[in-house]
Amino acid sequence: MITINRSGTMPARTLIAASVAALLLAACAGAPAKPDGAAEARYKLTQLQADPNLASRAPLAMQEADTAVRVAEQPQDDRELGAYRVYMADRKVELARAQAETSFAEDQHAALRAQRESARLNARTAEADAARDQVAMARAEQRVATNEARSEADAAQLDAASSQRETVELQRQIDALQATRTDHGLVLTLGDVLFASGRADLRVGATSNLDRLVTFLNEYPDRTAAIEGYTDSSEGYRPGLSERRAASVKSYLTGQGINALRLSASGGGASDPVASSDSAAGRQQNRRVEVIISNPSTTLR
Amino acid sequence: MTATLPAHRDALLRIAVGFTGVLLLAACASTPPAPSASMQAAQRAISHAEGAEAGRYAPTELSEARAKLASADTAAAEQKMTMAERFAEESRVEAELASAKTADVKARTMNDELMRSNGTLSDEMQRNPGDQR
Repeated sequence: MITINRSGTMPARTLIAASVAALLLAACAGAPAKPDGAAEARYKLTQLQADPNLASRAPLAMQEADTAVRVAEQPQDDRELGAYRVYMADRKVELARAQAETSFAEDQHAALRAQRESARLNARTAEADAARDQVAMARAEQRVATNEARSEADAAQLDAASSQRETVELQRQIDALQATRTDHGLVLTLGDVLFASGRADLRVGATSNLDRLVTFLNEYPDRTAAIEGYTDSSEGYRPGLSERRAASVKSYLTGQGINALRLSASGGGASDPVASSDSAAGRQQNRRVEVIISNPSTTLR
Repeated sequence: MTATLPAHRDALLRIAVGFTGVLLLAACASTPPAPSASMQAAQRAISHAEGAEAGRYAPTELSEARAKLASADTAAAEQKMTMAERFAEESRVEAELASAKTADVKARTMNDELMRSNGTLSDEMQRNPGDQR
C-alpha cells in the first residue's frame, strides 16, 4: 500500500506510516456498526424464533431469514447496499413467518377437521340416542295406552259380565215368579188357588207364589208393584170384593217387610176375565190378583 | 440506382459491419450485463403470486413487487445494473411474500369457517338434547 521512499529519511517515513494507520483506525472507529433497520429485522426474527407455535416450522425459510439478518447486520459503508440488505432481511423474516403460520394453520385445520368429525359423530350418536329414546317413550306410552285400553275393556267386560249376570239373575227371578213381561212391566198373575169364592182372605198354603214375589221385591228394591184384584162374573154383585182381594195381598206383602209406599192396591171387578166363567175352573182362574211390577228407570225392560 | 454493385462498395460494407461489431463488443465490455436472470425470476414469482390470487389476499405485497420490478427495468435501462439487480431481488422476495401471505390468509380463513361451523354443530348438539329431555 504505502511505498516507502528509500531515499527518504526514517522519521519522515515513520510519520507518514503512523498518520496513515491513524487515518485507517479513525475510519474503522467512525464506521457505523450496523445499517439502519438491521436491529428491527433481528428483533422480528427473534420474535419469530421465540414463538413456540412457529419456531420449528418452515425451516428453510427460517434459515434464509437468519442468514439474511446476519448479512444485514454486517457493518457497511455503502449505505445503499446496507439498506438493500436490511430490506431483504426484513422481507425474508416476513416470508419465514408467513410460511410458518401457514404450516401452523394447516395443522390446526387437520385438528379442526378431526374435531368436526367427532362432533358430527357425537351429533349422530345423540340423534340416534334421541330417536331411540323417542321410540322407547312412544312404546312406553303405547304400553300405557294399551294397558289403559285393556283395563277399560276389562272393566267394560266386567260391567257387561256383571250386568249380564244381573240380567240372567233377574230373568231367573222373573221365571221363578212365572211373570210375563209387558210394556208396563212384569205382570204376575196370582191365580186360582188364592181365594175361595166370595172371599177376600188368602187361602192358607196358597202363599208360595206371594213369597217368591216378596223375594223378588226384596232383591229389586227400586221396583214398585201395582196390585189389582179381580172377581169372577158370579161374584160381580159384591162391590169391593176385588179391592179387598188386592188389599189382602198388599197387607200380606207389607207383613213380609215390603214398604207399603212401593205398593198400590186397586180393584178391577169382573171386568177383565182371563178364562171362561162357564166352568168352575174358569171362574176360579178369574178370581185372581194381578201384580204389575214396574220397570225401573235404569235397568231392564 | 445501378444494376451492378461496384467492388469497392462491397468492401466498404464489410468494413462497416466489422466496425459496428467492434463497437458493440466495446459497449458490452464497458458496462455490466443486465440482471436478466434475477428479473426473470422476479417476473416468475409475480406471475405465481397472481395465479394464487395474491391480488385479492396480499395486494400490498403484490403491487410492491410489481413496482420493484418496474424500478429494476428502469435502472437497467439507465445502465445502473447493480441497482437493477437489487430491485429485481427485492421484487422477487416481495412476490414470494405475497404468495406466502396469500396461502396464510387462505388457510386461516378456512380454519375460521371450520371453527364457526364446528361451533354451530356443537351448539346444535347442546340445544337438541335440551329440547328432547
